[in-house]
Parts: sequence; C-alpha cells; structure tokens
Amino acid sequence: MKKLYLLLAAFLFSTTLINGQLVEPNHPKDYTMGNPQMNDYCRTCHICENPTKFNPCLEQCARHGAQFSSTHSFEAGPDIVIIDKLSKLYKPVIFSHELHASMSEMSGGCTLCHHYSEDSGEIPACDKCHKIKPDLVDLNKPSLKGSYHRQCLGCHREWSHENACQFCHEEIGSSDEVVSTYDKTDIVGVPHPLISAEEKYIYQTTYQKAPVVTFHHTDHVDLFGLKCTDCHKGDNCARCHDTAKQEEPKIESMTTCCSCHNENNCDFCHSNQEKPSFNHGVSTGFTLGHYHEDVDCNNCHRSVSNFVTPSTNCTDCHIHWDVGTFDHSIVGLTLNEYHEEEDCEWCHIDRDFRVEPTCDECHDDMSYPEDLPGIRE
Amino acid sequence: MGIERREFLKTLAVASGSLAGVSSLKASNKTELNPDRFGVLSDLTYCIGCRKCEWACNEANELPNQSLDSFSDTSVFENMRRPTSEKYTVVNSFANKGLDGGALNVKVQCMHCEHPPCVSACIVSALRKHPDGPVTYNASACIGCRYCIIACPFQIPTYEYEKALTPQVRKCTLCLERTIENGQLPACVEICPTEAIVFGRRKDLLELAHERIRKHPDKYIDHVYGEYEVGGTSWMYLSNQPFNEIGFPELDDKSPAELTESIQHGIFKGFSGPIMLFGLLGIIMKVMKKEEENE
Ligand code: SF4
Ligand code: SF4
Ligand code: SF4
Repeated sequence: MKKLYLLLAAFLFSTTLINGQLVEPNHPKDYTMGNPQMNDYCRTCHICENPTKFNPCLEQCARHGAQFSSTHSFEAGPDIVIIDKLSKLYKPVIFSHELHASMSEMSGGCTLCHHYSEDSGEIPACDKCHKIKPDLVDLNKPSLKGSYHRQCLGCHREWSHENACQFCHEEIGSSDEVVSTYDKTDIVGVPHPLISAEEKYIYQTTYQKAPVVTFHHTDHVDLFGLKCTDCHKGDNCARCHDTAKQEEPKIESMTTCCSCHNENNCDFCHSNQEKPSFNHGVSTGFTLGHYHEDVDCNNCHRSVSNFVTPSTNCTDCHIHWDVGTFDHSIVGLTLNEYHEEEDCEWCHIDRDFRVEPTCDECHDDMSYPEDLPGIRE
Repeated sequence: MGIERREFLKTLAVASGSLAGVSSLKASNKTELNPDRFGVLSDLTYCIGCRKCEWACNEANELPNQSLDSFSDTSVFENMRRPTSEKYTVVNSFANKGLDGGALNVKVQCMHCEHPPCVSACIVSALRKHPDGPVTYNASACIGCRYCIIACPFQIPTYEYEKALTPQVRKCTLCLERTIENGQLPACVEICPTEAIVFGRRKDLLELAHERIRKHPDKYIDHVYGEYEVGGTSWMYLSNQPFNEIGFPELDDKSPAELTESIQHGIFKGFSGPIMLFGLLGIIMKVMKKEEENE
C-alpha cells in the first residue's frame, strides 16, 4: 500500500508539474494555509496528519460535495435519466431525476448524490470515476453497479424497507410476467407532490402561564415566504415515508421558532387562547391595501432573519413618484384638470402622504373629504 | 484412475512419513501463506439481504438452483440457516438496531481460516490451505471420516449423506477456479448489487475495513470479525452491531488448529500403534471407496 501511496503522490506531483503549477485546491474561503490544526473538514480530503503542497496526501475522490458553478433549481436538471450502462440481468432503470431532485431539497440537495465535482464545477458522469469493472486496487471505490445500488438503496431501504429489484427495474427475459410495484406513468417526471399541511396547528404546551401556542403554518409558508427546509431541517424521505414507523415527525419547536422569533417575549407565541392569523393592520398599524397585499414581505422588510421596519411614507420607497409620473387614479381619486398639474405638497403638506391632505393652502372654504379635487371612483 | 493413484500414493507417503516422526506430519499440514493472499470483506451495513449471492453461488458451483426471481422470497429469514451440501452460502437476517424496522443481513459461508482447524483435522490432507487464501477440498483424497466437520468452529463443511456412493464434504471454495485460476471475481461477489462483499488482497481489505471504521466511528463497531478470530480468516466482516448478537461465535484469537494438532500429535507421540492402525484403516477405506466407484 505504501508503494501505492508513493505512486499516487508521484502521479499527483507529475500532473501538477505538467500544468506548470500546483493545482489550487477548492479550499473554503476562510481556509488559511499554514493553519496547524487539521480539522474534520481537512480530513475529508487529506489522509495524513501533515499535508503539504508537494505531498497533499489526498484521498481519492473525496466526498466533499459537488461545487456547482452556479446554483440552479431542481427543474434545471434533466427530467428523466435512463440508466442503461449495465443491464445484464435486469432491464434499464427509468430514473425520475426531477422527482428525486425536488425531494432532495428537503435534505442534502443535489450534492447528496452528486458528491464530487471538478474544479470547474462540472459534475462528472458517475461512470467517469465508478467504472463498470470493479477496481481491484482502490477497493474503497465501488464500481458503477455498487455505487448506483448503494446510493438508491441507502434511502429506499430507510423508508420503504424494500429491496426488491423490481421496484426499480424488471428482470430480463423473466418467464413470469413481472408486475412492477409502482406505476411509472404516475411518478416519472412529476415533481414531489405538494405536501399538504394544516392551515394552523394549536399546541398545548407545558408553559403554565399561557399554555396555548397557535402556529399558523400557511402564514409562514405563503405570507412570510419560508421554505420547507427553513424549519424542517435535515429531513429525509424516511421521516415522512417510513412504512414501519408510526410516529409523527416532530420539530424542535423552541430552537426552530426562536431562530426567527428572538424577541425574548413569551407572549408573542404563548397565550391562553387561540391566536388569530397574522393581520398586518392589526399587528403593525399599517393596513396593507390593494397593492401591498401581494408584495413579498422581503421587498419591504429585507430577509426574514434580518427584519427591518420600513418607513411608511410612500415616496421613501417609490422615490420616482411625482407630478407627471404618478397616476393619482390608482388611489381611487382621479384628479380634475385644475389639480393634476399641481405639486404634491400643495395638498400633502411636507410630502407626508400618511396624514390627511388639506385644502387650506389655497381654498379657505374647502376641506377634505367633503370637497374633492377630482372624482372618487 | 492414474491421477487418483498418484494422489493416493502421496497421501501414503505423508502417512508413512508420520511414522518416522511427528514433526513431518505437522509440517505437511502447514502452508506457507502468500503475503498477497486474497480474502473477502463483507460490510453488513451495505448488505440488503437480496440473496442474489446464494443464486450466483449455486449457479457457479452447479448446485441445485431456482430462478433468480425466486430468491427475493424473504420468508426463508424466519429460520436461521446454515450452509448445506446443496448450498455453499446462505443469508440470514437479524433486526437492525441502526435502521428502524430494518434488517441486518449476514451472508454465511466458509471463512477460509488462515490456520484452518478443518485442515489440521484432516488426516489425509484432503483439505488444504492454498497459499493464496482458499481452503480447498480434494474429493479423491477424502476418506469420509468427517473429522473436518467436527473441527470447524463455524459449522461449515457438510456431508452428502444423501449420496450413497460418492458422498463428499461440501463447502464454499472461494471460487478458486474463477478467482485464482482465471482472474475473475467470486460469483457471489460479482453479483452483489451493493458490493457489500468485496474481494481483494487480505491486507488491503483489512486496511479498508479499518479506514471505514476510522471515518465512520458512529456507524461501525470497532471490530473487524475475522482479523484475529481463530488466528485470522480470509473472509472478514464489518458490522454496526456486536457480532455475538448476530450469530457469530465468540472465538479465541488462537487457532484451535494448534490445539487439535497438539492433541493428535500428543497421542501419536512415541506411540506408533494407533497411527499405523489409522493408516491401515485409511488405506482400507480408500480401497473400498475406489471399488465402490468402479462398480
Ligand atoms: S471455516 Fe471451517 S471449513 Fe472453512 S476453513 Fe475454517 S475451519 Fe475450515
Ligand atoms: S466464494 Fe464462490 S463458492 Fe464461496 S460462497 Fe461465494 S460463490 Fe459460493
Ligand atoms: S448479494 Fe450482496 S447484498 Fe445481496 S444478500 Fe448477498 S451479500 Fe447481501
């Protein structure tokens, strides 16, 4: 084995020399060369205690996770992949890539399977490293057949406790008609079906002063724009699909809720009775009108974790609004020809649009809303 | 017949050699092991209990077989099975503590011990340790005494009681013909879908096993079964559960081969009567067997 390492080292050394310089590895940004502490992260690639530039003692094909050149959504990948490189005893597998990719968003993401990428970020085909013939030298690297099966069965065994080959592929030339255990037309190319959740969950907690916690699930998803994985961290297929386990999946509520609700105010969640769902007007005093209703929270409040209370004065956000660029009729009042050319501040004192407009800058005998500068729609 | 006679003569020579002194008998049973000898590492955490290895083994060794499909039947797991004269390998199933509701499957076959008790129990050297790893059986030398069956700490060799005329001792061959003679993988290793069983040089496999334990200390228990048991075996196991809970015998690091040898040799020491009787008995049995075969 020593010989092998030497050979490997020599090989790595020669290839790097050919390239003219040592290959700059994909070290993380906060990596500092010369850091004497080898940590677990280092050990995913380096197998000796003191790796150097000239003898990095690299693990072959470490599972460091693929480094995608640009992050992309699961839809960007192929819909279906037909795995037919090996088909000695069984027919090719029709692998629903998109379905799996979408499910993988629940845990691990693409790198769950695409565990290695080139420096360029390109994902090599599985058979670039995992050869059809087993490697008798690097025994740790499974051949293509072993890799596929370990990868698939690793999860499938966890939730379905299935190992029947026919779940994925049919036997070639089987005398008896093999009945596939799943309907391919139903699942192939269809992303993970929407997970249905209750609109709200009411919990009875052990906090005696105010035991009731109302969790408005729909609000968090639709209104606050949280992704499933923001709370359901590290879930895997088995968590929901385990055919043997009866238990409901539970979330560590204190750590999960408090990672956003860090206001240190128990009453925010706890109460003695059910709390109504979120109402912007009630909670903040700023009622969302027709136009603001559909705007993402993030547009005004930045990110959920970095929440800011924005100014409620219109032109602080809509900075380009002025005479000529603002269509006044969108507020339900179309200005008449005497008013449409006037400066905003004639009616909206100091351009503060939150307070009632006044008429007395020009008209002694008129007042809003009895008198209008146009037609109310 | 010519070859058989030669084998027979060789055996005789060994037997008579033993008359002259105990040490030569001992020497005849010891094989100089090749440092690059082969073995198999079976990682139970990858085994899915598909029993394809059973099918492939039957196929490769021309044992009675059924359709590949029929091996997905898991009802056989209800009973613990041992290899039989018609099945060199069987897969058993235990509850897997690391996988909720899942199984931990154990493929059982000859362990191809480094210092095989069966070999040292065999008085006619019908069983031998091949320098490259396998423990081989030579049916034409076997006198059917079944000492090997008693000596094996893993209850592996079985006898073809059902065959009246040419019964043989049967056990896994480590696919000697495929592997060492033809550079192929053992049939069971070749078919294994998850490569739970890996064929390679024993020392590389040990390195691989310890590397896996080092990398995943939460996953594996820190024990490579077969590294030291009975002085080491060619077939080794990695598991996430203690081996005594999943049907493996708890064995000493010392090979019982040395024990059986010393008992045998102790009895024979300075007392050539029994050994002559034994030799004679062997010759008679052999001749009778030949006659039966020729009938
Ligand atoms: S396991 Fe039994 S049959 Fe196999 S080599 Fe060891 S003693 Fe012999
Ligand atoms: S090594 Fe060969 S004989 Fe032994 S169990 Fe595997 S297939 Fe059967
Ligand atoms: S073929 Fe491999 S995975 Fe299947 S039962 Fe045998 S050892 Fe286990």
